[in-house]
Amino acid sequence: MPEKKAGSEWYRLDNAGVLYSALQKETYSAIYRFSAVMDQPVDRQALQRAVDKTMPRFPTFRVRIKKGAFWYYFEPNDAPGPFVKTDISNPCQPVRFREDNGWLVRFYYYERRISVEVFHAVSDGGGALVFFKTLLTVYLREMGYTVSNTCGILDVDAPPRLEELEDAYGKYAQGKGRRAPKPGKAYQNAGTPEPFYTFNVTMGFCSVLQLKQKAKEYGVSITEYLTAVLMKVILDKQHREAPGRELPVALAIPINLRAWFPSETLRNFILTARPVIDPSLGEYTFEEVLHQVHHMLRLNMDRHKMRAELTGNVRFTKNRLLQIVPIILKNPVMALGYRVAGVRPYSGTYTNPGAFVVPPEMAPHIRRMEVILGQATIPRVHCASISYGDIMEITFAGTQQETDTERDFFRFLIRDGIAVKVESNRTQ
Amino acid sequence: MPYCVHCGVELDATATFCPLCHTQVLDPVQPPDTEAPKPFPTQRGEVAPVSKQELALLITAMLACVAVCCGILNLFLKPESGWSLYVIGVAAMLWLWLVPPLLARSMHLLLRLLVDVAAVGLYVYLIALDLNGQSWFWGLAAPIILWGGAILLLLGLVLRVYRRSAITTLTILIGSLGVFLVGVEYLIDLWLYSAWDPSWSLVVLTICVGMVIPLIIVRRIPSLRAEARKRFHV
Repeated sequence: MPEKKAGSEWYRLDNAGVLYSALQKETYSAIYRFSAVMDQPVDRQALQRAVDKTMPRFPTFRVRIKKGAFWYYFEPNDAPGPFVKTDISNPCQPVRFREDNGWLVRFYYYERRISVEVFHAVSDGGGALVFFKTLLTVYLREMGYTVSNTCGILDVDAPPRLEELEDAYGKYAQGKGRRAPKPGKAYQNAGTPEPFYTFNVTMGFCSVLQLKQKAKEYGVSITEYLTAVLMKVILDKQHREAPGRELPVALAIPINLRAWFPSETLRNFILTARPVIDPSLGEYTFEEVLHQVHHMLRLNMDRHKMRAELTGNVRFTKNRLLQIVPIILKNPVMALGYRVAGVRPYSGTYTNPGAFVVPPEMAPHIRRMEVILGQATIPRVHCASISYGDIMEITFAGTQQETDTERDFFRFLIRDGIAVKVESNRTQ
Repeated sequence: MPYCVHCGVELDATATFCPLCHTQVLDPVQPPDTEAPKPFPTQRGEVAPVSKQELALLITAMLACVAVCCGILNLFLKPESGWSLYVIGVAAMLWLWLVPPLLARSMHLLLRLLVDVAAVGLYVYLIALDLNGQSWFWGLAAPIILWGGAILLLLGLVLRVYRRSAITTLTILIGSLGVFLVGVEYLIDLWLYSAWDPSWSLVVLTICVGMVIPLIIVRRIPSLRAEARKRFHV
């Protein structure tokens, strides 16, 4: 099957996109959101103009998803929009392929906040941040400021480049393929589900400098430190619940592959690392958890292993037998596969796309950045963080009523000497 | 800036409680700012619901179509018996059950039950008329329908008035089923033998009680109830 058919400009979904589109349902959202809190209230019309100017530069975002007989595929979306909307209290609502003119990217504004929500089949966080940064640049230009096209900002007047549209998984899928061994069941960290349309978001803001100093004291990176704190609070939570047998606590940590495999793709290009602690071996102190996380994450950063894993994943979707199964049968099987291999072996997700770096002339107009992951298949929290300047923003978002994980997490930071400010959309 | 006294985190100036531990913000010197915008919007995004009128129209069209088609077929297939009237009766009964609640903005429970029970009663009465079975209708069918209606009314009132958990609801439903069947056997016995001789309904009632007992225990012991709610997501 060709990547792109002449005449009709359709695209095959990449490896991660195939999975996310098959899983999409009302109780799971593969949507994530990036927000920028500006220094001034948002001008809706200027933002709409910026969206209209930015979208054509990003053809991989300007798509609708269509259902074929065997697979989903993307085709260019020429429908009106996407339109900027006033923000809602329950962000990252599941994508509905036929609604909103088929747009898989949404734009919201509230007071000083500009938000963009992206369906994960379209792009990963790395690609979406390039898109968002470019959008913010165009918005600021619409507001009369001069911003240069540096720090990864794309020129909206230039045509899209082929490298940005490539399926990087397919490009690097070479040699011996190996699928990751099936991990065992982890502690699920599930709570009581909220009624439909309720999505609890709690954000904590702290100083990057304080975090850096603390991580340095332990001899680890900020991501490793925050991962270890999250794992420790989940371990303690399970211990408090006193189950008959304590299950391992494992997190899904997406790894941006662009750092290891040069690619400028704006589509998906990630793999997942799985740091795990087994409390049935004994009670781990925080230092021990941190030590494990530090080494496990670094052990996973092996170029050859990562290539073998992504090759295995690509080979799996190119399996002849799987290809001839109609989509109507394939979707439930993939959903079951995800439950077994993507939900059961994890206690949660933590993603840290890193620092959001902008040109100096743009910096004074942005106060902080925020990130939210959509709802998991079960009522549990997903954690995500992003830093901008000296502000590290850490979000816990999920459909569970309980606040145990985020409460213990932020209390841990406070006890460790890191000042935290908390904001939430919870109303009770 | 307010701080949570339990968590130690700084809170937004507009916060009235800590989102982590739900402790109220009580600062007599600096009460929560009610003027400034909240950090997050309060308007929820929801999918546009299906129009009730359109759904009512669709159901009406489907049922009417079934009734007309069967009526026409009856003209050619066994025209000596009016079998299509049974199908038309079912369509009319389903229409009465489904469409008025969709059209009425809010339909009182009593009125809805009355319409539903009357629809069933009317349908069975028409069957009785066709089969010349006035005696079994008045002696057996009508009392059973009324008894069922009374149980449903009671159920509706109990479940609507009291704020109940899923476990309580299940307990009440199973219990009501047992009581309803005891009543049914009583009415059958009365009509057939003019005396009540309870047998099978007692077995069913015992089964229902057997199912209800563990539920009541779970409902009454807080730790068990919390565990059940957590495990079953209720």
